[in-house]
Amino acid sequence: MREEFYKTLSSPLWWGVLVVAALLPLVLSSYYLHILTLSLVYVALASSWNIVGGMAGQISLAHSLFIGIGAMLSSALLLKFGVNMWLGMLISAALSGLLGAVIAWIDFRFQLGHLSFVLITLAFAEMGAIVVEGWDFLGGASGLLLPRDTGNFWLFQFGGGPGAFWVMLTLAAACVLVNIAILNAPLGYYLRTIRDNEKAAQAIGVDILKYKIMAMVISAVLASVVGTAYVRYLTFADPYLLISPVITIEIVLFATVGGLGRAYGPALGALLLVPLGEILRGKLGSTLPGLHYFIYGIVVIAVILVTPRGLLSLFERVWWSWRRPAPHQ
Amino acid sequence: MSELYQALAQGLLIGSTYGLLALGMGLVYGVSGVVNFSHGDFISLGMFMCLALYSAFSLDPYVSVLITVPAMTAIGAVVYIFLIRPMVGHQFLMVVQLTLGLSLVLQNGILMIFGGQPARTPSVVESKLLILGDVVLQVPHVIAFGVSFVLAGGLYIMLRSTDFGRSIRAVHQNAHAAALMGINVGRVQVLTFALGIGILALAAALLLPGTPIQPTQGLRYTVITLLVVVLGGMTNFVGIMLGGLIIGIAEAFGTIYLAGVLGLLMPYIIFVAIMLFRPQGLTWKSRQ
Repeated sequence: MREEFYKTLSSPLWWGVLVVAALLPLVLSSYYLHILTLSLVYVALASSWNIVGGMAGQISLAHSLFIGIGAMLSSALLLKFGVNMWLGMLISAALSGLLGAVIAWIDFRFQLGHLSFVLITLAFAEMGAIVVEGWDFLGGASGLLLPRDTGNFWLFQFGGGPGAFWVMLTLAAACVLVNIAILNAPLGYYLRTIRDNEKAAQAIGVDILKYKIMAMVISAVLASVVGTAYVRYLTFADPYLLISPVITIEIVLFATVGGLGRAYGPALGALLLVPLGEILRGKLGSTLPGLHYFIYGIVVIAVILVTPRGLLSLFERVWWSWRRPAPHQ
Repeated sequence: MSELYQALAQGLLIGSTYGLLALGMGLVYGVSGVVNFSHGDFISLGMFMCLALYSAFSLDPYVSVLITVPAMTAIGAVVYIFLIRPMVGHQFLMVVQLTLGLSLVLQNGILMIFGGQPARTPSVVESKLLILGDVVLQVPHVIAFGVSFVLAGGLYIMLRSTDFGRSIRAVHQNAHAAALMGINVGRVQVLTFALGIGILALAAALLLPGTPIQPTQGLRYTVITLLVVVLGGMTNFVGIMLGGLIIGIAEAFGTIYLAGVLGLLMPYIIFVAIMLFRPQGLTWKSRQ
């Protein structure tokens, strides 16, 4: 069952791509390095979301909550109590995991199927945004400013630029690896059974609540850790960016554009759309604010209408029809 | 004591409009099984249309509805035909993602046209007050209350005793059987969706006087609407209006009695509490 995972771990192609990617800071200008770092943040976030949203088919809109806890709580603990950010990261991740489990449990009591999960997670995301914007401890509406990044690893500082890029590359690769591992483990099969037919899964004895909670906890912990690293990179903990449900919607759209439930789908979506959006924002952001979101929206609608399984499966179809012309021709 | 009456009155007034917002969504869900996550952004669209009409022709929002309601109904029909109908037969969740994409398009389309500054649309009744004993009511809220209930009543009668209403109920109960009885299911679905969006144009005008608007507000309206629809048991007409009143009253009590964050959280806390004990919503029959 897990062969696929070990095959990836020992694949020269995988490590080759990683090493080439790790060398990119040596050749890229700081502007493009920034765009690439941001893309990797979203690769990691979309991949962590994919465990719940793609594999289990539970569209979670609560991930802004986990990202927000990872970012705002760890920053607040550092600034208000001087808690080391590594410890802050762990505390935030634990809280996110716990919250994820509670949300999954509450959802289980509802009787509206897949729909209820979207609703209850969105309600929780709104609650989170209201709490952060109204509570000064977490920065309130004005946010929190972290101390300057001096590159001291033990203080969770990576020196910005290349350092932050490497951290994000590690996190993104780790999130994709977790995806591959779960997809090839029993958990992945259970989750896909739940997605495709919950009643049938229950009938054959799959413990639905247990696996839903597991998926949610893993996903929430990963998102929270990425949130902490992201806020360290940004230096400014902006509640309107980090705890706004819009960040979740972005992630959902990236994953959908790339291909839901696939190991590389969300990564592909983020790697295509984030650079597009950032470059558009750099060029036209002052004259047309919101243009990049507008384009994301158009792209996702187009992709859903044209190829609902995402771009990854579209590319695969094109690739295979090119490699192997259809037999009846 | 007067504070209590004030909170109750305020909650009832605003809650009736929430009920109206949710009726459109419940109607659409019942007929085509679609939950529209760009619902709140259509409310935004309706509000900004009123603002544009005010800036261009200094029309009062209550007059603008004569233009915005037909326009939004047409937009609703176009959206259903070109975006949502092609998704029929796909996984339900793809429609959710599609409407999330639509929400980004609407929200940022509005942002690009109108900018991000909060804006107000004046109305003749904006600052008028109605004083009943100890209770002070804002006239726009009273108008919203009256219109919401008249409209809800009208919709109810329409569903019960017109042919179109019967066809809506037939499609809701069993689309396949309805088609066999000669009902054009596709047409009913388009018209219901268009009607749902048209109602939003009206609700937008009712909410507008005295409220500053900005493009990013859409999602919050979507959430409020969803809370109300779920509380009301998704398609139950009376349940949805009741759900609207409960959320409205929770909001009013929260802001009057509790300071800060906890007050703003009140509607959500009430929602989660009710749903934990009555997962099927406020309907009397349990869902099968």
